[in-house]
Amino acid sequence: MAPAATSQVLLSPAELSFLHSSLLLQPPVRPDGRAPNQFRPLVAETDILPGANGSARICFPDGTEAIVGIKAEVEKSQWRANLSEDGAHLGTGGGDVEMEEDGGKPQEEASSHGNGEMSWIELSIEIPGFRDDDPLPIFLAAMLSEGLLAGEELKDRLWINRRFHWKLYIDILLLSPPLSYPLPLLSLTTHLALLSSRIPKLKSEQDEDPLFDDDWEASLYLYPKLPTGKRIDRPPITLLVMAVGSNIIFDPSKEELAVAEAVLAVSVRESQRRENDTSGRRLNLLSIRSVDSPSRLTPSGVPNTMNTATGGSAPVSSQDAVAQRESIDQKGVWNPPRGGVKRALITRIIKLVLEPNGVAQEVMDGLNGVEV
Amino acid sequence: MSMRVGKEEVKEGESESEDVNESERLPAPPKPPRQTHPTTTNSHDYDSTSDIDMDIDEPTHSVKRARKSVVTPGELVTSDPQWMRGHGTYIPPSTTSILSTVAGTVLKTNKLLSVTPLRARYTPEIGDLVVGRIVEVQARRWKVDVAAALLAALPLSAINLPGGILRKRTAVDELNIRTFFTEGDLLVAEVQALFQDGSAGLHTRSLKYGKLRNGYFLSVSGTGGSRGRKGGVARSRRQVFTLTTANGGGEVDVILGVNGYIWISKHVNSAQGNKDISITKLEEQVSLGVYSSQNEEIAPATRREIARVTGVIRALVENGVGVDEDMVVRGYEACQEVDLEEEGERSDWLGGEKGRRVVELAMGAMVT
Repeated sequence: MAPAATSQVLLSPAELSFLHSSLLLQPPVRPDGRAPNQFRPLVAETDILPGANGSARICFPDGTEAIVGIKAEVEKSQWRANLSEDGAHLGTGGGDVEMEEDGGKPQEEASSHGNGEMSWIELSIEIPGFRDDDPLPIFLAAMLSEGLLAGEELKDRLWINRRFHWKLYIDILLLSPPLSYPLPLLSLTTHLALLSSRIPKLKSEQDEDPLFDDDWEASLYLYPKLPTGKRIDRPPITLLVMAVGSNIIFDPSKEELAVAEAVLAVSVRESQRRENDTSGRRLNLLSIRSVDSPSRLTPSGVPNTMNTATGGSAPVSSQDAVAQRESIDQKGVWNPPRGGVKRALITRIIKLVLEPNGVAQEVMDGLNGVEV
Repeated sequence: MSMRVGKEEVKEGESESEDVNESERLPAPPKPPRQTHPTTTNSHDYDSTSDIDMDIDEPTHSVKRARKSVVTPGELVTSDPQWMRGHGTYIPPSTTSILSTVAGTVLKTNKLLSVTPLRARYTPEIGDLVVGRIVEVQARRWKVDVAAALLAALPLSAINLPGGILRKRTAVDELNIRTFFTEGDLLVAEVQALFQDGSAGLHTRSLKYGKLRNGYFLSVSGTGGSRGRKGGVARSRRQVFTLTTANGGGEVDVILGVNGYIWISKHVNSAQGNKDISITKLEEQVSLGVYSSQNEEIAPATRREIARVTGVIRALVENGVGVDEDMVVRGYEACQEVDLEEEGERSDWLGGEKGRRVVELAMGAMVT
């Protein structure tokens, strides 16, 4: 399980109880009046760093802001003996099923297909106030690269020839302190940065030392565009979803996260395989990870009957306290959630994310609107 | 659960790089006011052109003045000795030039030059009504976060005991200090004293003050330097008021802490109607509920109206309007009007365009 959301948001038991019971209503009343699946607007721009192959910046309305820069470098590949014989298919385990079927077929000799390696993508996250070996940046980096590496396409595009490949450095910089769990922000920014990344056009052939066209105009997008302006495929996005009772809430703010019963990070990718296949967009689920909900660490509220300041009587021992707490179910008192997430709930979350015109689709459409 | 959000409501990434809008982000600095300098001064009065690395091509003074409404720390405000320095400025030894020490806008009062910071922490003053959060419990006092540079202190002797008993605080009280307030608890208090280092001493010895429950906390701090001119809470006659809400929400209490912390809660009728009780009768009036951390039953309609009031206040701050009782009431009314105009499925979310509409309507109501 990934580490807890943010450094504990300090809220009083009365506030937690108010937030929790509001979110438990049908429909939930969110503190900012949003619908459960409504996202906050964000400000996004791409190609902001002239020195990088691709870059993007996103500002969330809660004041968090991130910049991602992508740098590609030519690197000598390690010689692999059996490369041409069996296509050296290196699955990540998380790869989608379709890819693995393709991987079984014999490959053309100088094709890049299936030759990508995981180590060709390096992702680093910098968060102010955190060391780079703190758990938060490490887990975030792991979750983001998991999504990126799950598909073969990106890795394979980094293949130049049998002797050389591109090494992709993805540098993610959170400019503001992590007010809320920064995973969706970083994921969306990385998505846009990858979309805007271009690599120089290759002029050399076969296994020569690579020679590139120095005209930047001629460079190719890492995620190639079709003549219609559409992309063949797009990088993955990771969404943060939380649940309170049976309510599923998207794009939670930090107060909402503080009372969440379950927090999940869902990575999705949209893929369009064939160039002529425009019929349907398919959403693939890449990974789901549960994030520690900060609500579990909050102290519970004291009901009036157990509070000496309100005329109650304090429990005599901690056992007594537990017994009293369990025996009475009082409204308006904060009790941190216990237990796990129901399987049916996770199913519903996945359905809401993946269904046609679902949440992931909506976010993708929104990101399509950003000029790249 | 049905998907309420259609495609046209998708805001994600809709805005392009051109409209990078400062006000879309909540804790972003408030907008500087449009040109506060009087234009009738002669060119020597306000001289910002003598900044060393700026004089590559010197434009005329008037152009420069119009362009530069914000000064940064260390920037020369004027070298004219006729000006007196005020807050946010500094005169280096053996010179007569006035430098700015904060990032903000220049303010002139007769011959006094001061710089109002764009963002500043709250500076406590005696008598201020503040909303605070306990961050630390010590042996005989609490440390309270009131958005000031230093934590405020609330001594055990400065609170009402439950039941209003007047007596010396004993060792038992000290041991039971967490039954009154514990870490994370919110309270409304008054600044009773200022210490040498500028930190505040608080007290809650009134029926109006004490622990907060039944509601939602909202912070609009960070505008401490603006005194409500550019968003943030203005000091006014009434910081605490009750709003009668529509849609069956009932009455909602709003506490506007001078420090920019705001509490919006369901109005709970206290057993005793009148709140101005003399200190001698205090013991009869302090109910047992003052230190409760258990919420009352709050109807969904009330919760929705609390969220709406929160949205209105957020919209006011995002659009750089000071928050006081008048503006909140107007904003709430304007919000209802905007809601009426909207047909079909409406969103309660008061951000972006709708928030701007609400604030414009509220401001319009003020002018006429």
